[in-house]
Amino acid sequence: MSKSSASQLLQAYRPMWVSLRAFAGFFLLWWLLHLWNGNPLQLPSPGKVFEALWVLLREGEIAEHASVSTVRMLLALGLAILVAVPLGFVMGLSRHAEQFIGPLVEMLRPISGIAWLPLALFIFGVGDTLPVFIMFYVGFFPILLNTVAGVRQTDTRLLSAAKTMGVRPLPLLLYVLVPSALPTIMVGIRLAFAASWAAIVAAELIGAPSGLGFAIEWYRQLLMTPKVFAFILAIGVVGYLCDLGLRAFQKKLTPWTEGSGIVP
Amino acid sequence: MKQTVNNRTGGIVRNLALPALLILVWQLWALNLPAGSPAPSPVKVVQTLGELLSKGSLISATVQSLGRVLMGFAMACVLGIALGLLMGTIRALRENLDPIIESFRPIAPMAILPIAILWLGTGTPTALAIVAYASFFPVVVNTVHGVSHVDRKLILAARTMGISQWTILARVVLPGALPSILLGTRLAMGVAWTAIIAAELAVGAKSGGGGSGGIGQMMFVFYAYNIDLNAIVVCMTVVGLVALCIDQIFKVLEKRLIPWRQEA
Repeated sequence: MSKSSASQLLQAYRPMWVSLRAFAGFFLLWWLLHLWNGNPLQLPSPGKVFEALWVLLREGEIAEHASVSTVRMLLALGLAILVAVPLGFVMGLSRHAEQFIGPLVEMLRPISGIAWLPLALFIFGVGDTLPVFIMFYVGFFPILLNTVAGVRQTDTRLLSAAKTMGVRPLPLLLYVLVPSALPTIMVGIRLAFAASWAAIVAAELIGAPSGLGFAIEWYRQLLMTPKVFAFILAIGVVGYLCDLGLRAFQKKLTPWTEGSGIVP
Repeated sequence: MKQTVNNRTGGIVRNLALPALLILVWQLWALNLPAGSPAPSPVKVVQTLGELLSKGSLISATVQSLGRVLMGFAMACVLGIALGLLMGTIRALRENLDPIIESFRPIAPMAILPIAILWLGTGTPTALAIVAYASFFPVVVNTVHGVSHVDRKLILAARTMGISQWTILARVVLPGALPSILLGTRLAMGVAWTAIIAAELAVGAKSGGGGSGGIGQMMFVFYAYNIDLNAIVVCMTVVGLVALCIDQIFKVLEKRLIPWRQEA
């Protein structure tokens, strides 16, 4: 063990050490605030929250709600991809289609998914359909816009070259357009995930009998604040893990580039 | 010449075709419903809009929501830009706060709502807290990004000329980071508007229709008490229009404040 390798080791673990230090500071601050606040119903101590987290994890309650929410999210995102990506290709390739569909999209897009909640509650009632619908709606626009942008960004020289060589439309789509648009589409999917994960909480809080958002509100009404905090933590962690997974998927699917998406 | 005119009118016709068709289908569908059905129809929506406008309740609710958004947004801007400037210039601060900010980012504003209710009740302070929380992250993240991407040579040049630290911050770093900061505030305002609707809706839903006011609350009242779907559609349209206006205002602001740089 030379001295330089030891410092290398230190260097490698430095980010972790910094995060650890930062969180230690954060929890210390939290603990002090809790002492100052003195009301365990409003701000429980970090220890109480971790205790609640441990109990909820051991009894499988978090896993149950998290899996319900994740399945809903995957379903909604999958549906959004199925609809928005082909539509985006059509709109990106044909001016006329864009002129037809574009205005409708621009009319609906400013109406946030949340604003659909009362109407959707009326149509679908409380249940599984409502959160899936809201998340589908929220995720639809980032995917659509980024697909259109991705298709439009395709290098015209590549298209012309392929056409000169007599490539047929279907191979042109599969081997030129799709690979060229894919990085941007993936950015759209990640944006869609972020938006729909933020919306699921609202949707479940108001209109579903299960899921992470429901659990938070349920335990608030029971005034079990440590459990409320534990579930909020779970939402953050599951969201973070899903984004990590999507990033890995993105790297695997489009290893050649990160892609620069557009934020709707 | 005639050709281009024809093309243009053709474009406008294509632009309006799909929305007009959908509205027509919706109206025809509504006409065939049995009398007394609560389903909305375009004609009734316009009538309801007129009624709500003449009563003034729609405008006052919208103004109340907008006021909350502006207050919360202003709080987030002051905090976010100040903290972002400090984090961008002081490395130790950035290293220590980054992990904490990044781990709070995936936690949706709505997840904080139950805690905000526990701390601040069901009135305006809760709505403000949710809006400030939602808009804080885009502002701070984009400010840090902008500050850390200011041309180093400019800062070094200013320092060589013996300009004080504060003047550099105000005259070099801030203008350099401005495009990024403005992008952050525009994104923040978008989320803030969504968040206020969600917060008002949920507070309305979960506190037994407590008098929080605002357009989100109004929607909930129309859903739960009056069962007036036409009014809900009116509110949704207003929500969309306001979002559109906010976005346009920010685009104009961007052009005015940073005329030297035009990028998306």
